[in-house]
Amino acid sequence: MADLRKIRVTVNGEEHEAEIEPRLTLVDFLRGELGLTGTHVGCEHGVCGACTILWNGRSVRSCIMLAVQADGSELKTIEGVSSDGSLHPIQKAFIEEHGLQCGFCTPGFVMSVSELLEHSPDPSDDEIKDYLGGQICRCTGYQTIFGAVKSAARKVREAGESGAAGEGTD
Amino acid sequence: MSVKIPNSIGELPNSEPRFIGTEVERIEDPHLVTGRTEFIDNMVMPGMLHCAILRSPHAHARIVSIDTSAAEALPGVVAVLTRDDVLRWANPMTTIPEGWAGHCLATERVRFVGEPVVAVAAKNRYVAEDALELITVEYETLEANTDARKAADGSAPVLFEEKGTNTIFERVFTWGEVDAAFAAADRVVTESYRWHRLGANPLETFGCISQWDPIENALTCWGSFQSQYHFGLGRAGVLGLPTNKIRIISQPHGGSFGGKGGFRGPDIAALLSRKTGGRPVKWIEDRMEYLAGGAGQAWDRHYDLSLALRGDGTITGLSVKLLDDLGASAEAWGAVSAAKPLAAFTGNYAIPVARYDLTIVATNKLPGSPYRGMGPPPQNWALEQTVDFAARELGMDPAEIRRRNYIPRDAFPYTIASGNEYDSGDYDAALDAVLEMSNYNDLRAEQERARAEGRLVGIGLVNTIEPGVFDWNAYAIVGQPGTGVPEGATIVVDPFGKITCKVGFSLEGQGQYTVAAQLLADWFKVGMEDVRVVALDSVAAPPHFGPGGSRLGVALTGAILGACQILTEKMLKVASGLLQTPLEACEFYDGVFRIKGMPEACVTLADIAGCMFAGSHLLPEDVDPNPEATYVWTAPGRTPADEEGRAKSYLTAANACHLVLVEVDAETGMVEIKGYWIADDCGTRLNPANVEGMTQGGVAQGVGAALLEEYVYDDDGQLLTSTFMDYLLPTIYEVPMTEKRALCTPSPFTPLGAKGAGEGSMHTTPAAVVCAINDAIAHLGVRALEMPAAPRRVWTLLQEAKS
Amino acid sequence: MKPPVFDYVAPTAVEEAVALLGEHDFDAKILAGGQSLMPLLNMRLARPSILIDVARIPDLDFIRVDDSAVSIGAMTRQRTLELSAEVRERLGLLHDVMHFIAHPQNRNQGTVGGSLVHADPAAELPAVAAALGATFRTLGPDGERDIAVDDFFVTYLTTSMEPAELLTEIRFPLLPARSGHSVQEVARRHGDYALAGVVATVTLDDAGRIGDSRIVMFGVGDRPMRAVDAEQSLLGETPGEPVFAAAALKSIEALDEPLSDVHATAQYRTDLARVLTRRALTEAAVRAAGQGSAQ
Repeated sequence: MADLRKIRVTVNGEEHEAEIEPRLTLVDFLRGELGLTGTHVGCEHGVCGACTILWNGRSVRSCIMLAVQADGSELKTIEGVSSDGSLHPIQKAFIEEHGLQCGFCTPGFVMSVSELLEHSPDPSDDEIKDYLGGQICRCTGYQTIFGAVKSAARKVREAGESGAAGEGTD
Repeated sequence: MSVKIPNSIGELPNSEPRFIGTEVERIEDPHLVTGRTEFIDNMVMPGMLHCAILRSPHAHARIVSIDTSAAEALPGVVAVLTRDDVLRWANPMTTIPEGWAGHCLATERVRFVGEPVVAVAAKNRYVAEDALELITVEYETLEANTDARKAADGSAPVLFEEKGTNTIFERVFTWGEVDAAFAAADRVVTESYRWHRLGANPLETFGCISQWDPIENALTCWGSFQSQYHFGLGRAGVLGLPTNKIRIISQPHGGSFGGKGGFRGPDIAALLSRKTGGRPVKWIEDRMEYLAGGAGQAWDRHYDLSLALRGDGTITGLSVKLLDDLGASAEAWGAVSAAKPLAAFTGNYAIPVARYDLTIVATNKLPGSPYRGMGPPPQNWALEQTVDFAARELGMDPAEIRRRNYIPRDAFPYTIASGNEYDSGDYDAALDAVLEMSNYNDLRAEQERARAEGRLVGIGLVNTIEPGVFDWNAYAIVGQPGTGVPEGATIVVDPFGKITCKVGFSLEGQGQYTVAAQLLADWFKVGMEDVRVVALDSVAAPPHFGPGGSRLGVALTGAILGACQILTEKMLKVASGLLQTPLEACEFYDGVFRIKGMPEACVTLADIAGCMFAGSHLLPEDVDPNPEATYVWTAPGRTPADEEGRAKSYLTAANACHLVLVEVDAETGMVEIKGYWIADDCGTRLNPANVEGMTQGGVAQGVGAALLEEYVYDDDGQLLTSTFMDYLLPTIYEVPMTEKRALCTPSPFTPLGAKGAGEGSMHTTPAAVVCAINDAIAHLGVRALEMPAAPRRVWTLLQEAKS
Repeated sequence: MKPPVFDYVAPTAVEEAVALLGEHDFDAKILAGGQSLMPLLNMRLARPSILIDVARIPDLDFIRVDDSAVSIGAMTRQRTLELSAEVRERLGLLHDVMHFIAHPQNRNQGTVGGSLVHADPAAELPAVAAALGATFRTLGPDGERDIAVDDFFVTYLTTSMEPAELLTEIRFPLLPARSGHSVQEVARRHGDYALAGVVATVTLDDAGRIGDSRIVMFGVGDRPMRAVDAEQSLLGETPGEPVFAAAALKSIEALDEPLSDVHATAQYRTDLARVLTRRALTEAAVRAAGQGSAQ
């Protein structure tokens, strides 16, 4: 066993310190050490996108990142998207537009979409496809997910315009 | 008490049903979108160990020796399970047909790459995988049997020496005077097809936690089990336990599409738990294990298909010869997939006679599992291509030849040649709808223009039947006996009028908990938020099967409505006492128990449940204080299979018509889907959004089947597509957005007139996309006859056309 | 699918990283963005005894544009490059190619240097480097050196860097005025590695004839495959389909037999290279003609 390494990360606004093996993947750290099990594991080789989280604001695959690489970083997982039982507009849009069936891939989609809308509040169809192209959904056939992203973008924009962006958006 | 299940929404005791039949938000979703649903890998138990499995690197080899001493010595390793343990504690795997498998760990030889050989339980998965690297297995490799044709003709090495053959099943079924039909035909159109292996690949692989109780010799398994009760029965057989000592707890699962429940993993974890004296052992199948060794491969098929036709395009006979490569055993339900086509053998067509020449063989590949559609999709694909080839030979339009052969709308219920009865349908209406939606004539004109420019544009027009509400009798021919598949629900009303529905299956994605809440809210005229749906384990739940065979929406509706009826009749007796009115003058309607003709004289659900809870002095003598009822539904009118396999099997016959426009790049062989239209008729839609999702999801998997997905084994039986870099799932770039229209021909036989609609487009899309490709290249004199129509295959055809 | 045991060190200066590389030699592996390495670790197909994470070295993450080149620090994330307005404006090829590389979630983490050093012959960035004539600056025990792209890619997953060398910077020369570029590829799905692909540039002279051209094929050899003879054949020609078709035929003469795998045979790959070369040249020429002087 290699020497343990101490890391410090901020996850969903909360600081954590841990001593871990260097080989521990970030997703295993989040799920196993921090109990943040909303981030799912689908392929462990960076293809399916189920484990997508935000790393310093950018969407990444947490299955092909080591926890030690995240030392000093700010991370956001699905648990940090909404709090107090209220839903983020993206989550609401996925429900309203039926953008999920089994829901296993959904947290990864929500994280990718949250980066997309941060970066591009009124995304073009091509931009949406670009962001979702690396997120695999085996259930829905994507049509309703595409609709959900469109709807989420409207909701986020409207919330921003009415000055009510605070609702669940952290 | 006789229970009569309503056949339409109008028969519910509610003057204004608000939920069932309308698009509602799913009650499952808030937990899912926030990552709070408890999938199996989220569960942690005190003392839990983690399992990793050493798998065979060879397709076919004898195991000479196994040395686990170094692994056992690794700190953190608690137990190592080998063939010695398995031979001591377990029986061979259960199979259909019987007797075609070894144990959950290979004992004397391995028969496919990825077969489990040794398993380790350790403090975490990392250490467990470290331990696997310390195990030495000496193999004596044997020649691999990877060609189904050689397996069938006896020239390949035999997998099971005691069998002396690789032929698992061989029989010709003849339904009617088939030879006479072909002899009398004006034209016979014949073609051969090859459908390669593909499979379910839900985003969540299989996982479980098994815990042995060494005191009672009992087993509890938590996991993503699609059908917990039946899975439990199988475990009892394999692990040598009484059936009532097995408790299976199905966790929500991240998709299934057939086969969730894995094979071998729960048994291996159970035996490891037994070896550790009862510590819970978790096994989470990783993606590479799933691809090489999971319940994820299906339909490795060679077809020869012939149609007998009259000169006017009327099809007078169908002959299907199938060589089905099941892989290394019959343990994973794959053989059932070769039987299910009997439920819709002749598709939408009134073909009076048919033959099925079926051979199932064993090869050194992963044992075949169920996958969405369970067998008919490849046959539909072959049949629909052949119909198109026939149309071309006869100079007919694909729409015209299909219309000529449809079962007429006034001929239902209609018994097909292979024995099943279709409940209802209007195939002309579906065809008309897609022709209109797509502006079919304009598309043909566009195709002409494109062809003049040297571009390859094609149109695929396909209709299929989706058999719904499966029955065991459909699988009788391969050795799965039984008639009827019970599904139960228990409905409870509490003293505050809140309703709980208890079922025997967990979330899988189809939204059935929502359907339950819709039904109950409308029956009792409450809000959906007043209803809660909970899953019980295999021991506690009423008889159940769960999802599978496009059955659960219909079956659950029957179970719930039956239980509602029993419960309200029971409660009505209490109401009659409280209202001091004879029973026959009372009714349950619009959410209250009331005196007929005096709706204001009523008592509520809460009144009655409260009376049962704490008002025994007010109860009639023949009513026990239990505000709860259970009903177990099974499809009516099912019949056992006759000697030729014919039975009334699947209860419903949904139908769909798809029209696809593709363009084939004449230089690269790449296929682009440029338009997609669907008309779909599955009777009453309980939640139209659910149906649309299943339809579109089926399109995605169908596009995968048509263009992308393929498990490739080399001649030595090595799997060449062992990661998601090579086994290609469709993404948003490949799956078309489709225009859909819902048609409704209610089933006369089912609860609320609904039909099974789970497997959906998987029946239709693979055929439609490839019909379109063949339409695009027809004038070049080549045909795409192999699945998937991957670019390398299409390019090769285009080269053949040039030379 | 859990990585094997390894040690991990995260130096904060390039010299420190180079010293560590020297110390551990072949047992060490540089960890940049990890998009290729991490899957191999999870599959236990890579087994370094120590990972040297160079992400904490601040001076490896930069984009500088001067009159002649875009210089990029080896640890610059692909996404940073993609989002750089300056790169987009001055060297559109480098911007455009990003959309072919996997997905934003990979480009957010993956680095420019990591992709180049990984030297996958089916990857896009090495082909772009070859087409632009990039220079690779490395630091080793003996100091800095510059490696020309034609000397950099050796064979499958192999560069001419020494085990103790670290890639620090890549210089991509700007294209001259009246230049156009094109990236063409056939992949099974968007974002997958190409079955075959072509990066082409065309520069027109004042008379509208081809003054310069680069053709680099990828996915069809053991490294990015430049078709020098085909490039030469274009010089002085007037752009047009027959000229490009002939050059495309010539370009595949530069290929040995490409790999066959489950997705494509050697013959298919070769023919794709021909088709894509013609298409790439055609598009590049159209863009060059429409360019005026802004490239």
